[in-house]
Amino acid sequence: MTASPPDGGVTRGGGTTGPVPVEFTGVRELRGPLVVVEGVSGVGWDEFATIVLDSGERRHGLVLEVDGDLAVVQVLEDTAGMNRAGTRVAFSGSPLRIPVGTGWLGRVCNGRGEAADGGPPVLGAASAAVGGAPINPVRREPPDEPVLTGVGALDVLTTLVRGQKLPVFSAAGLPHLELAVQIAAQATCGGEPFAVVFAGMGLTHADVAFVRDGLAARSAARELALFVNTADDPVIERMLTPRLALTVAEHLAFTEGRHVLVVMTDMTAYAEALREVSAARGEIPARRAYPGYLYSDLASLYERCGRIRGRPGSVTVLPVLTMPAGDITHPVPDLTGYITEGQIVLSADVQASGVGPPLDPLASLSRLMRKGTGPGRTRADHPALAAQLIAALARSRQVADLADLVGRSALSPADLAHLELADAFRRRFLAQGTDENRPLEDSLDRAWEVLLTLPRSQLGMIPADLLDAHAPAADEGAR
Amino acid sequence: MSAPPDSLDPVRAELLRAARASADAVLERARADAGAVLREARATADAVLARARQLGTADAAAGAARERTGAAQDAWAAELAARGEVYDALRDAVRAGVRRALAEDPDARSAVTAAAREALGPGARVTATAAGDVSAELSGRRVDLSADALADRALERLGVRAETLWEPP
Repeated sequence: MTASPPDGGVTRGGGTTGPVPVEFTGVRELRGPLVVVEGVSGVGWDEFATIVLDSGERRHGLVLEVDGDLAVVQVLEDTAGMNRAGTRVAFSGSPLRIPVGTGWLGRVCNGRGEAADGGPPVLGAASAAVGGAPINPVRREPPDEPVLTGVGALDVLTTLVRGQKLPVFSAAGLPHLELAVQIAAQATCGGEPFAVVFAGMGLTHADVAFVRDGLAARSAARELALFVNTADDPVIERMLTPRLALTVAEHLAFTEGRHVLVVMTDMTAYAEALREVSAARGEIPARRAYPGYLYSDLASLYERCGRIRGRPGSVTVLPVLTMPAGDITHPVPDLTGYITEGQIVLSADVQASGVGPPLDPLASLSRLMRKGTGPGRTRADHPALAAQLIAALARSRQVADLADLVGRSALSPADLAHLELADAFRRRFLAQGTDENRPLEDSLDRAWEVLLTLPRSQLGMIPADLLDAHAPAADEGAR
Repeated sequence: MSAPPDSLDPVRAELLRAARASADAVLERARADAGAVLREARATADAVLARARQLGTADAAAGAARERTGAAQDAWAAELAARGEVYDALRDAVRAGVRRALAEDPDARSAVTAAAREALGPGARVTATAAGDVSAELSGRRVDLSADALADRALERLGVRAETLWEPP
C-alpha cells in the first residue's frame, strides 16, 4: 500500500522515527469483508486501518462504523484466510492519505494505489488526504479554454472546457470504453503541460488489457497515471479508486501546473459499490436501494474539478457511466446530470447504423462550450458553425419523422436537403476510427462541408461574412 | 496484245484509296487511343504508386511509432523492475541492519522495551526474543516492535528520499 502516515511523515522529510502504532487484538467477528474489533478507543469513521494477520501478512481497511468500543472495519483485500485469533488491527488516526507528485506519471496501479507494473511503491514528496480538500468557492476560476480530444464530433459540437465536468452517458454494449480510451490517449491542451489520470472501476481483465494497450503511448510519454480496479476486486476498493485518482490529479494540476484530464469509468460500477457498502453499514436504502446520500457522494467526486485563482493548471473530469437498460432516469445518470455541466450521450441507434463513435448530437450538450470556443480559443467560426449544425440536425430529425408519415415524395426540396445533410453528417463528420486523431481544423472543415449540402438560405444562424468566406454567393446559383 | 482497260479500275482505285484512307484514319485513331490509354495508364500508375507510397509511408510511420512506443514501454518496464528490485534490496538491508543492531546493542533493546511500555502503560506484558524482537500486550492492545516492523516503519517514513537509489545525484 502506498498509504502515507497521517502525520505527514513523508512530507516533512524529517527523521525516521515516529509514534509506536498500537494494534487492537480483540477481533470479535469476521463477517464477509468485515472485521468487528472490540476494545477500541479514539477511532473515527473512515479512518484507515492496517490489519496484520497471524502469518505476518498485512492488509488494509477502512472503518465503516464505530459504536462505543466496537469498530467495524471493511478489509480492502477481503478477509479470506483470516482468523479471529492472531489478527491485529492498527488504526492510523486519520482517513487514508497517499503520496502525491509526478511519481505517479507512467505508473499503473491497482484500485488501492499499489503498483501493478512491477515497480516499487509510488513515492511522493508530499502527501494528501484522498478525501480531498474542498476548493474555496470564491477562489474558483470559471472554466476556460478547450481540452481538445481529437474526436471531431466532441471537439466541434460538445467542446470539453478546462475545469469542466462532462459525463459520458452510455449503455451496455456501446463502445464507451473505446471512446474513453481514445479521448485519454489523444487529448491535449494546446501544447501546455498536460496529463491524464485514468480511473477504471469494475473493469473486466479483458477491458484492463484494452485500456493498458490503448494508453501505452501516453504512459510511455509519462503523461498518464492509471488506476485499475477490476470487477473481481473488493467493492470498498472501488470506492477509493476515483478518490485516489482525483487526489493525484489535484496535485498534478494545482501544484505541478499541469492541465489534468481525469477519466473515470464506470461510475455506475462505483455507485453499485457504494450501494453494497451502504447495505453492509445497515443504512436505510433510498431510490433503487442506493443510499440517500448518492447525490452528495457523486458531487464530492465531480466537484473536485475546476481551476483555482492564482494557481496554474486545471482538473477536468470526464466520468463515464452506463445507464442500466438505457434508462436515463436511473438514479446514477439522473443525479450525475444534476451535478455536471452537460453530457455526451451515446446512442444504440447510431451504433446500429454502423457509425462510430455513436454519439447522439442532439442529446449531447456541453454547457460551458461557449467558454472554450471562438476566436483565440478554437476558431472564430466555431460557435456559429456548431450552433447551425445542431439546428440543421434537429430539423433533419423532424423531417425524417415527417417523411415516415407523409412519404419522401411529399417533402419540399429544403426538407430533402436536410435528409441528405443527416446522411452526410454521419458519413463525413461523425464517422471516425478509434485510432484516428482528427485535428480541430479538419473537424471544423468537415462540419462546413456537411452544412454546405444545404442551400445558403437554410444557414441563417451563420453570419454573412463567415458564409461568404466559406460559401461564396456565386456558387449558390450552381447548387 | 494488251488487255482492254477495265472500266471498273477507277472504281477499284477509288475504293482502294478510300479503304487506305479509312485504314490510315483508323490506325491514326488507334494510335491516338493507344497514346491516350497509355498516358492514362501511366497517370493511373503514377497515382497508384503515389498512393501506395503514401500508404506505405503512413503504415511505416505507424509501425515505427508502435515500435517506438513498445520499445519505450519495454525500457520503462525494465527500469521499473530494476527500481523494484533495488527497493526490495533496500528493505532487506534495512531489516538486516535493524536486526543486527538489536542483537548486538543491549541499549537499543532497552530503548525498544521502554518504548513498548510507554505505548501501553506500566502494566504491559513485554516479550523479548533472543533476536531482539520485542512485543507487548495489555488488555486487547498490542505493540509490535520486532526488527522487521521497526525497519518497515522506518522505510515508510523515508518516503521519497528512497528515490535517491535510482535518481542521478
